[in-house]
Amino acid sequence: MFEVIYALWRRDMIKFLRDRRSLITSMVRPFLWLVAFGFGLRASVKLPGAGAGADFVSFLVPGMAAMTVLFSSMFAAISIVWEREFGFLKELLVAPTPRGAIVVAKLAAGSSTATVEAALMLALSPLLGARFSVGGALLALPLLALFGMAMNALGIVVAARMRSFEGFGSLINFVIQPIFFLSGALYPIDGLPRALRVIVLLNPMSYVVDAVRGLCLGVHHFPIALDVAVALAAALAFGALARRAFNKMEV
Amino acid sequence: MVKVIEVEELAKTYGEVEAVRGIGFSVGAGEIFGFLGPNGAGKTTTIKILCTLLQPTSGRARLAGLDVATSPDQVRRRIGVIFQDPALDDRLTAEENLMLHAVAYRVPRADRAERIAEALRFVDLYERRKDLTRTFSGGMKRRLEIARGLIHRPEILFLDEPTTGLDPQTRARTWEVLRALRRDFGTTLFLTTHYMDEAENCDRIAIIDHGKIVALDTPAALKQRVGKDLVTARSADPEALARLLSEKYGITSTPADGGLSFLVEEGDAFIVKLLTTDRPALGGISVRRPTLDDVFLSLTGRQIREEGAQGQFARLRAAARGRG
Repeated sequence: MFEVIYALWRRDMIKFLRDRRSLITSMVRPFLWLVAFGFGLRASVKLPGAGAGADFVSFLVPGMAAMTVLFSSMFAAISIVWEREFGFLKELLVAPTPRGAIVVAKLAAGSSTATVEAALMLALSPLLGARFSVGGALLALPLLALFGMAMNALGIVVAARMRSFEGFGSLINFVIQPIFFLSGALYPIDGLPRALRVIVLLNPMSYVVDAVRGLCLGVHHFPIALDVAVALAAALAFGALARRAFNKMEV
Repeated sequence: MVKVIEVEELAKTYGEVEAVRGIGFSVGAGEIFGFLGPNGAGKTTTIKILCTLLQPTSGRARLAGLDVATSPDQVRRRIGVIFQDPALDDRLTAEENLMLHAVAYRVPRADRAERIAEALRFVDLYERRKDLTRTFSGGMKRRLEIARGLIHRPEILFLDEPTTGLDPQTRARTWEVLRALRRDFGTTLFLTTHYMDEAENCDRIAIIDHGKIVALDTPAALKQRVGKDLVTARSADPEALARLLSEKYGITSTPADGGLSFLVEEGDAFIVKLLTTDRPALGGISVRRPTLDDVFLSLTGRQIREEGAQGQFARLRAAARGRG
């Protein structure tokens, strides 16, 4: 059972490592944000509660790490559409392997690749002058991995209903954009208008960003334990939904 | 013979559409059993039910004594499936695809490398084992899938349209591999096809049309049922020949290229009889045994597909039926 999960996880990792280009292109989005947003607004942004001298680029880095995980793990779910379209999924479904094991392997792989990309992004961000605690960033990686599982599971829920790549692409963007923009990845949660604040508080990504920021910069809004609990709850809830969607899927 | 597949009253309905309507048959151990029918006849639906990918609406199917609906995991361990469309991970190498399969089917760790090498040699792909399967041709992919189907030594191998879309050479090569599989491992093969010549490779054939089995027998016995042979005679004076056939032998003929064609029992003996009687001059004469296409036509009144000379035979037979 564990061996099957490992073999399936390894399969996705082999393909990820063979495709170096996608690893490099995944760096483009966070760095564009850091350059355009971080440098562009640095002079005019005053960060409440972040203390004097807090620099906006560094403030953005945890949000960018979470964003990298969000996009990468959500889009990783397209492999379900891909494998159903090109038949490989049938080979898996007809094997004497529990469906749950296949879902767990998918979540582990989607989350691993996303976390590798986030780690690379964190490692490169000092090139743009970002300053944060390296130890804190390392501690944040398991939490980012958990968030990757949750978002990959949500992606699988979408992918299980989709027959085309285009359909998946447009619907997943529709899901990703609000999660990203309404998360506190780009701005502090304090001082938001109430309506927006409510939405942000309902978004699991807000808690992930908060915890990563807390670990990297020592600035956070919620207790870290709450952040971790929310991420764990999201991973379990979406994981269960993904499992159900996978079971109902027709090949 | 030990029965490894037993199907009773099996039916599958999708909404309003009855894809399979109460079919029953059994397959013996080591048999090559074919489902022959046109596209949409219910072949793939039947195979999907037998290999646990679909639940039947009603009826029962048992593989090696295990019910496919209630013990899917145990059934899955005993079968191999080669789907109509390639189901390989094309961004993995041939060897990686087989290794994944070996793990998924719980092949003992110690045996894996050896079985993979053996399977790859069996289908003549050992030299290409380190290549990504996306670089393979259609025939190579199909052979690799057959190799994959062997890794866990299934008792029963299902093949859905195993040679559709392959060139004649590759089809012949694929069949060599399949026959060797039965010979060397005693594997039972269950396949679907809409190719007549492919069905000829089977020990027994079930002809399926509109979700029902309309005939089940050996290819030879099925052809025997049609009985008559097709004789084509070239003649400078086809009218006179047609008159002779109809007056003396009561045979209806239809015009063919440079002469005429007709159906008759034991065509070779009839030719001799015709040549030794007083008749118009003949430019040439040929006789053809009935094919499975003719069998299908005689059972359903339709052809599986229109195909060259066979199409002509079919039109003739249809004409004969219309008159008779």
